[in-house]
Amino acid sequence: MEDKNNFIDPTASTSSQKIKFAERPEDLSGKIIGMIDNTKEQADVILEALGTQLRERFDVAKVIIKRKDHYSKPAPDKMIEDMSREVDVAIAALGG
Amino acid sequence: MCPLDEFEFFFEKEWSDGLPIIPPTEEKINIMLSSIKDSPDEIIGEFPPAFSNVSIYSIAVHGVMAGCKPEYMSLLLASVRAILKERFNLNGLQATLSPAAPFFLVNGPYGKEIKLNGGLGCFGPGFRANATIGRAIRLMMTNLGSGIPGISTMSTFSSSSRYTFCISENEKESPWEPLSITLGFSEEENIVTAIAAEGPITVWDDMSNEPIPLLRSIADTMSHLGSMNICGDTDQIIVFSPQQAKICSDAGLSKEKVKEILLEKAGRPMSEIRNTGRYTASRIKSWSIDADPEDDDFFVPSVKNPDRLFIIVAGGIPGPMSAVMNGWNGTSRAVSEKIYS
Repeated sequence: MEDKNNFIDPTASTSSQKIKFAERPEDLSGKIIGMIDNTKEQADVILEALGTQLRERFDVAKVIIKRKDHYSKPAPDKMIEDMSREVDVAIAALGG
Repeated sequence: MCPLDEFEFFFEKEWSDGLPIIPPTEEKINIMLSSIKDSPDEIIGEFPPAFSNVSIYSIAVHGVMAGCKPEYMSLLLASVRAILKERFNLNGLQATLSPAAPFFLVNGPYGKEIKLNGGLGCFGPGFRANATIGRAIRLMMTNLGSGIPGISTMSTFSSSSRYTFCISENEKESPWEPLSITLGFSEEENIVTAIAAEGPITVWDDMSNEPIPLLRSIADTMSHLGSMNICGDTDQIIVFSPQQAKICSDAGLSKEKVKEILLEKAGRPMSEIRNTGRYTASRIKSWSIDADPEDDDFFVPSVKNPDRLFIIVAGGIPGPMSAVMNGWNGTSRAVSEKIYS
């Protein structure tokens, strides 16, 4: 695609696909929350503490934490699929 | 305010590298494509993290924008193929806090044909092939990959090697075999090797006439306590100047022997690592070597896996220095690709 200046738009081949945000629940009471530990140091400590707070303060039913292989690699597809089946709300969480 | 012309149009894009580009007209793109036989519609892969399709046509567009000559196209193709290999983990490199960038080393007669500099001043300005080939790749990383600073590229400092980072090996003045031969290719083959690396740290020694004192300084620079390497399991590149490679070679040291000495000398005792903030038992246990975090006398090598240490010769004469380039991350491995020129 050439524009009026007679040059090619280099972004022409890039596809911009808009993905809708997952619906946000009104409150977390009774919900199952999932978190992905990115393997950085102390991620487990921070997420355990966060899980405790979520249960105590927001009446969360259960917290599931999954740990990916390496912080520089995406979570494997299976982990994401499992998470989407097992939880009501998922958080991509970071470590220290 | 200046009227919007084609140069201002590109400056305003968030994926601009901040320098003027050559407007990619259909005519210029066709000239660029005329140097190769491949179909412009062929898809090479997807550029992370946006995962946009990369066609040969889009590589030519970016080659024009960066100022490449048509004869650089085959190297652009091979370089993109290399960094899109899963083993390279470009997705992680795009996102990282580190200043590391894909470093491209070219071996074989093709480098000379396109005047890709591996001699005096090779990492700096003044050489069109070096300046524009690396730049074209960077523009693709930001434009096709959306590796935009502050959005999906979070490098704290970034670095000047993110403008361009592409040289040939100084095969003519090297006393040793080129890297491509070490990696199992033949002399006639043109090879580009992509390695995720930080910029060169120089190691000065203008007095040594024998290898061991020289190698001691290089080993020390390889293993400084703040490097990614000492607490990680990453690649590392040693760039010998021709002069310093000759000092080793004249003393009867092959490249393999030099590598052996560096692997043996470059490291720190666990006690020194323990005194830094980066000491954690879990990190140490993730290394590919069997290291005991509690053993103060344990020698922690800078390069944990010998296949991850690359020795090359580049730069000019005189050259009373060599350079160390630290790797990026354990998840990224060097990739070599043939250049079909």
